[in-house]
Amino acid sequence: MTMTNIISIKNFRMQFGKATVIKDLSFDVKRGETFGFLGSNGSGKTTTIRALLGIYQPTSGDLLIDGKPYTVSGDIKLGYLPEERGLYKKESVLDIMTYFGQLKGMSRADARKASLAYLRRVKLEDKATTRLDKLSGGQQQKIQLGITIMDDPELLILDEPTKGFDPVNRKLLMDIIEEHQAKGATVVMVTHQMEEVERLCDRIILLKDGKAHAYGTIAEVKKKFGNKSLDDIFLKVYGDENATEEED
Amino acid sequence: MHNLGTVIRFEITRALKKKSFWIMALGFPIMLAAIFGIVFLSNKTTDQAVKDLEKQKFSLQVTDESTLVNPALLTAVKATTITNKQQGIDNVKNGTVDGYIYYPADLTKQPIEVYGKDVGMFDNGRYEGVARALLLNSVQSTVSPQVSSVIQGNTPTNLTTYRGSEVYDPLKQMIIPGIFLVLFYMLIAFFGNQMLVSTTEEKENRVIEMILTTIEARTLIIGKIISLISLAFLQGLVIIVPALVGYLLFHEQLSLPSFDLTSLPVDWGRIGVGALIFATSFILFTGLLVLIGSSVPTAKEAGGFIGIIMMLIFGPLYAAPLFISQPDSPFVHFLSLFPFTAPIPLLLRNAVGNLQSWEIMLAIPIILVSAVIVLNLAVRVFRFGALEYSRKLSLKEIFGK
Repeated sequence: MTMTNIISIKNFRMQFGKATVIKDLSFDVKRGETFGFLGSNGSGKTTTIRALLGIYQPTSGDLLIDGKPYTVSGDIKLGYLPEERGLYKKESVLDIMTYFGQLKGMSRADARKASLAYLRRVKLEDKATTRLDKLSGGQQQKIQLGITIMDDPELLILDEPTKGFDPVNRKLLMDIIEEHQAKGATVVMVTHQMEEVERLCDRIILLKDGKAHAYGTIAEVKKKFGNKSLDDIFLKVYGDENATEEED
Repeated sequence: MHNLGTVIRFEITRALKKKSFWIMALGFPIMLAAIFGIVFLSNKTTDQAVKDLEKQKFSLQVTDESTLVNPALLTAVKATTITNKQQGIDNVKNGTVDGYIYYPADLTKQPIEVYGKDVGMFDNGRYEGVARALLLNSVQSTVSPQVSSVIQGNTPTNLTTYRGSEVYDPLKQMIIPGIFLVLFYMLIAFFGNQMLVSTTEEKENRVIEMILTTIEARTLIIGKIISLISLAFLQGLVIIVPALVGYLLFHEQLSLPSFDLTSLPVDWGRIGVGALIFATSFILFTGLLVLIGSSVPTAKEAGGFIGIIMMLIFGPLYAAPLFISQPDSPFVHFLSLFPFTAPIPLLLRNAVGNLQSWEIMLAIPIILVSAVIVLNLAVRVFRFGALEYSRKLSLKEIFGK
C-alpha cells in the first residue's frame, strides 16, 4: 500500500456571511487508509466535505483530491454518501440505480447488473421494480449506499453513514466498508459513533471551533488525552458545548 | 457535456411513464375532438330540419298573419293552421300539440313567436329550426334561384390581390409562419409549469449532493432543457397531427373554411425567420423558467411565479391590433426588441409580414444572447442554490456569487 496523500486540505477557511465556520484547517488523508472525521454538531465537518467536493466554494485555502480540486469529470472514482439523504422518489429502485451507475461512467448493462447484485446482497431483489417512495426509510438508505459503492470507488466519503440504520443494517454497512478497505479504497467517515471509529479508522481528526483540535492515529490521539477511551475524549472535548442540531 | 445523453434519456423516459404527461398530452386533442363532434352533430341544414320534422312526427300548429308561408309546405309537414294565437299557446300548454308557430303580419317589426313542449336543451331548437325553414323555403319558392342566392348572400366572390406584379393573399401567406406563434403559445401554456418545477425535484428529494458530485450542473440543466423541449415537441405533434388529419377528413362536415393545403404559399424566408424566433424564444423562456425553479426551494413556491412569466410572454397579445396596424410605432418596436416580451410580437408580425429586416437582424441575436445569459444564470443558481432547501435565493446572491 503506497501511503501518498489522496486528500490534502491546507489553510481552509469558510465563511457564511459574517459567520466563520472553519477558521484554519489543514490535514491530509493517506491513500488506502480509513480516516475518521469527528466533531460535534455544527463543528464544520459536512461543510468541509462539501467544500472538498466543490459543492461549496471555500472562502480561502486549498482542498485537493489527488493533487487537484475535485471535478466530476476528473479521473478519481468517488463514492459519496451525503448526510442529507434522498433520491428520486417516484422512480423504480432499479431505474435510479442504473441511472446513477451510468452517470458514474458504467455502461447501462453493467449498471443494471451491479444494481441487481447489490439488491440481492442486501435482500431487496424483490424491490427492484418498486418505486422508491414505497420503501421504508432504512431500505431507501440501503439503496443510496448501494449507489455510493456500485462502481467500486477508490475514495469513499461517508457522512454519518449509520444514521437511521438499525443494528443489523449497521453491521451490513460495516462489512461493506471493510470489504472496500480490503480492496484498497480510501474511506473518509464523518461519524459520532466511537465504536465504529475504533473498529474501522486508522487515523482521526477532531474538529473544534473551526480548527483541528486533535489529529493523528487513534493511539496518538488517545495518548494526547491520557489514554482515555474515544467516548471519554469526545465528551471531554465537546461536553461543554451546547450541541445543536444545525448543519455541520 | 459528458453524460448529457444519459440525463436526456432518463428525464424523457420518466416523463413518458407519468400518467399526468399523457393526460395533458391527449387532453387537448380529445377536447378538440369533442367540440368538433358537437359542432358536427348540431350542423344540420334547415332542409334537414324539415325532413326531421316529418320523421319526428311532432304535432304543430301555425298562425300565419304574414301570408308568406306556403300552405303546401305546411301540409307536407302535417301542420294545421289556426287563427287564434292565444289558442295556439294554450294548445301547447295543455299538451294538445307539441309546437305552435306564430308568424306576425310584419316580420320586419315583430319577431316570429315559437312555442313548444320542452324536449330538452338541445332538442328544443327544433321548433325554431322548423319555423325558419318553413318561412325560408316558402319565400325561396316565390323567386328565382339566382335571386334567392343573392338575398341569402350566397353569391360567391373571388378576390385576387397583388403585391407588385405577384399575386399575394395575406391570409394564406400568414398560415405557415403563423404556426410558430400557435406552437409557441401552446407549448409554453402546456409546459410552462413543468419547466418551472423541473429542477425543484432534486432539491425537494434531497438528491442534489449526490447529483452535484456525479455530474456537472450544466450538463444536468442542459439535459433537462433538451428533454423538456423534446417532450414539448412530442406534445405539439400530438396536438397538430390529429388536428390536421381531422381537418383533411372532416372540414366539409364541420363547415370549416376549405383550404387547398397544397396551394398554401411557402415563403421560406418568413418560415426560416419564424423558426429562428420560435427556437431562440423557446430556449430563452425555458431557461428563465428553469432559472426561477432553481432559485426556490420547492415546486409550490416555484408555482407562484408562473403567472408572472405568463403575463410577460402573453401580455403583448393585448396589443396585437397595434402590431398589425401600427408596426412602426416605438411601442411596437420596444415590445418586439425587449427579449422577454419579444416572442409574441415578433412571431405575430412575422406571420402578418410587417417585420422589417433590421428588426429581424437585431431581435434574433438579442433573444439568443439573452437565452445564453439566462441559461448560464440558471446553471449558476442551481449550483449555488442547490443546498438552499428552505429559502429562495435573493437577487444579490444570484448575481453576486
